[in-house]
Amino acid sequence: MATYQEFIQQNEDRDGVRFSWNLWPSSRLEATRLVVPVSCLFTPLKERPDLPPVQYEPVLCSRANCKAVLNPLCQVDFRAKIWACNFCFQRNPFPPSYAGISEVNQPAELMPQFSTIEYIVQRGPQTPLIFLYVVDTCLEEEDLQALRESLQMSLSLLPPNALVGLITFGRMVQVHELSCEGIAKSYVFRGTKELSSKQIQEMLGLMKPASQGAQGRPSAPETPATCRFLQPVHKVDMNLTDLLSELQRDPWPVPQGKRPLRSTGIALSIAVGLLEGTFPNTGARVMLFTGGPPTQGPGMVVGDELKTPIRSWHDIQKDNARHLKKATKYYEALANRAAVNGHCIDIYACALDQTGLLEMKCCSNLTGGHIVMGDSFNTSLFKQTFQRVFSKDYNGEFRMAFGGTMEVKTTRELKVSGAIGPCVSLNNKGPCVSENEMGIGGTSQWKVCGLSPSTTLALYFEVVNQHNAPIPQGGRGAVQFITQYQHSNTQRRVRVTTVARNWADAQSQIQHIESSFDQEASAVLMARLGVFRAESEEGPDVLRWLDRQLIRLCQKFGQFNKDDPTSFRLSESLSLYPQFMFHLRRSPFLQVFNNSPDESSYYRHHFVRQDLTQSLIMIQPILYSYSFYGPPEPVLLDSSSILPDRILLMDTFFQLVIYHGETIAQWRKAGYQDMPEYENFKQLLQAPLDDAQEILQTRHPMPRYIDTEHGGSQARFLLSKVNPSQTHNNLYAWGQETGAPILTDDVSLQVFMDHLKKLAVSSAA
Amino acid sequence: MIPGWKWHVSRKCRGCCDLAEPTMEELYVKPGNQERGWNDPPQFSYGLQTAQGGPKRNILNKRVPPPQLQGSQSPVPGGAPPMPIHSTPPLNPLAPPPCGVATPPRLCTAATECTDSPSAQSEGEPIMDDIIAVLNWALNACRDTVKKQVCDDIERRLKLFEETWRGGKLSLPVKKRMNVLAEEMKNRNWDRADEIHRALIVDYVNEVSQWMVGIKRLIAETRNMSPDRLGETAALPDGTSPK
Repeated sequence: MATYQEFIQQNEDRDGVRFSWNLWPSSRLEATRLVVPVSCLFTPLKERPDLPPVQYEPVLCSRANCKAVLNPLCQVDFRAKIWACNFCFQRNPFPPSYAGISEVNQPAELMPQFSTIEYIVQRGPQTPLIFLYVVDTCLEEEDLQALRESLQMSLSLLPPNALVGLITFGRMVQVHELSCEGIAKSYVFRGTKELSSKQIQEMLGLMKPASQGAQGRPSAPETPATCRFLQPVHKVDMNLTDLLSELQRDPWPVPQGKRPLRSTGIALSIAVGLLEGTFPNTGARVMLFTGGPPTQGPGMVVGDELKTPIRSWHDIQKDNARHLKKATKYYEALANRAAVNGHCIDIYACALDQTGLLEMKCCSNLTGGHIVMGDSFNTSLFKQTFQRVFSKDYNGEFRMAFGGTMEVKTTRELKVSGAIGPCVSLNNKGPCVSENEMGIGGTSQWKVCGLSPSTTLALYFEVVNQHNAPIPQGGRGAVQFITQYQHSNTQRRVRVTTVARNWADAQSQIQHIESSFDQEASAVLMARLGVFRAESEEGPDVLRWLDRQLIRLCQKFGQFNKDDPTSFRLSESLSLYPQFMFHLRRSPFLQVFNNSPDESSYYRHHFVRQDLTQSLIMIQPILYSYSFYGPPEPVLLDSSSILPDRILLMDTFFQLVIYHGETIAQWRKAGYQDMPEYENFKQLLQAPLDDAQEILQTRHPMPRYIDTEHGGSQARFLLSKVNPSQTHNNLYAWGQETGAPILTDDVSLQVFMDHLKKLAVSSAA
Repeated sequence: MIPGWKWHVSRKCRGCCDLAEPTMEELYVKPGNQERGWNDPPQFSYGLQTAQGGPKRNILNKRVPPPQLQGSQSPVPGGAPPMPIHSTPPLNPLAPPPCGVATPPRLCTAATECTDSPSAQSEGEPIMDDIIAVLNWALNACRDTVKKQVCDDIERRLKLFEETWRGGKLSLPVKKRMNVLAEEMKNRNWDRADEIHRALIVDYVNEVSQWMVGIKRLIAETRNMSPDRLGETAALPDGTSPK
């Protein structure tokens, strides 16, 4: 292997794993001194077109508290037909079906290139996927029409055998019976009264009188009675299309000065209860479409008086958000119930004002569901984002998986401290669970009810080997990820990834450890810890914690003479890291200023689930410059990059901005691009559009798109993201204008770095 | 409309020209709804969204380290040397414009070059009766095996389709694609017919949502039927049995 960069890339491509350190410090003490914990970003279902699944069950270690899966790191005695578990050293005989193995005849899971392998296992009957639409009818007619059409369209995108259901709500909640014939029937519930799961099932007639005796065991889903509300798409598509087109706005009058009464809380609880009673432990998606905040019943976020605005950050800080705690608790309880049953909840919230995502976010965050936030259902942002939920992979299979559980196994010197991602703990306290929690800890198993190929979890580890103890046996530590899930084609599958890294002595081999540092992964891993803290701690505390970590890292790895900031240098493997931290501090994930609580929740929701590349774009947006002087090139995210004769393309994940410099904008206004002799100018204008199109075509959720120019009001999206190296305060100091001054008092990267250096080299620290 | 809004639709034409290959009119981008959505992104057609597009041309994921950490103490980072400010775009730039460098040659810039593409066959407006005939043929074939109520429901939607067409409420692209869909059904290419139905409902949902589900169902029901039954029970009205 030539370089660490190649090694890192290859590991990510093959196993979907990026570790902060690719050499591990061999003792607990040394590990804590490295500041960034041994941790990784793991994409359990990373798309692997070159990895055909095998059609048999994985072989497990026979030790009861181990049960690791046979993998390429295990030692095999081909003659005795015995394999030694690399996690607990148990010697296991191969099962009879492996009788024919030899050095030249090995099963796939023993070959090094199958460090990631997927098994198709057959357990129980196959059940179709389930999609339960929960639709708010307190919408403007234009929005409702657009939503009707999107839902009708989705019936063509669903797998034909999928089960589909419809719940609508406004002041009341209606559960629609879907039958192929006859009159449309629905069950109406009041939106104010909390019902237990059992009550809901009884009222919907889901419990057959006979089976009621059997405590908590609802009748089997095969009986037609339970299926009245969930029917195969291919049977009810025509009726459901009609039902949707007849969907009316909530008929209850809304007096002036009032908000419509919206029973989102009860509607969701009925959805969760319905699925709980009929299809527990089966892949299902509850899809909530809402156009405003819940205003009545349990889970209400704001009252119906328009004169009382929905809570702001200011209200929350002043402890003046009346419904916040109660509503959050209510939705958390719902989310946990859904998670127990393996069901995920999506929220599609389209409105100009806030809709209560802050309170409801847990529904998606704990179950792996999507959150989409838009201005209106009649926008391409919503329509296309929704369409892409049903996008298919290279095999023509849906990019969604359900009911996943992910288990982590480690070799003895390593324990798992926790995970951060769209998951809940399964409270499985095994031998490899650390006492020190980071993120969702105290377990080695997590449930991820909704997964896509890009869903990425952050996992944090603790090195437990004692100081001065020798480097652990074998020289390598290993981690195994076992992800069991329901594939979109309804097969049960198990994906197993087993990775190992060398131990290194942090005293004699510190340079090797330093060069094994993956600064991109580390930035994202530390950022996730920061965002996780930000959910419970005050913003400034989180920033201070991040700053402290950065200073300590620079003290550990910077080269400098004591008390001489100008001598400070960082090696190449850390060269980008401080810049990432600088932009992270300014990002909407940690700064709530100028964002509503809903927006902050939305941004954080995406940040803690996307893969490394996308997460890094969120931390530090990508900036490319287009000019006549050469091909497009990446430039510093800095005000000095804003030049008159350039076009800039900035990608912040949530927004794509094309910015035309002053001269370019003038030329464009003058229409040079339409003159044949300026064909090259036309091409220059086109180039960033083409690149933006490629991003727009694949990104989920669809980003907002901004086409602006020098002096345009929308240029603020660019100006607020670049490092303000030139401001109104220092502009004249530099003599001439070489970029765009930003009107801000924010600290620039230069000042940030100067302080960082000063603190890092200080002997007082 | 955003000024200067022009997207290139650059796709390779693989083998001139497979029927399943979307034609130019199915590959388009239209602006988002700026009235309802703040900076609403452009809308891509179904054909463009599902195009597997091959390797990306420019993956924009590179970053530049700040100069401060590499020893340079210049207070103003990076930046290009000051360029002479032109009053007009350079006529003969020193370097070729960037897209000349970065984009691979476009093999087939316009589908109109491919003379046997399905859209080229039907330059004018397709004939509604031909399409209806195929759909009715399929429906008749279903009559024996599929529940009456379902067949009636499909029939109702076919009528609705006919009425909408007659009422002048269908756009040309929808008519053309319905024509291709009918052709595919006639030739028993169910997957392709199904894919066209999907593209139509995604791209033109407001025009087709009421009746398209009937076509969808019709495709689903006929594809389940044994080929013999399809051939036996029904012949097209012009006397020819579909191949």
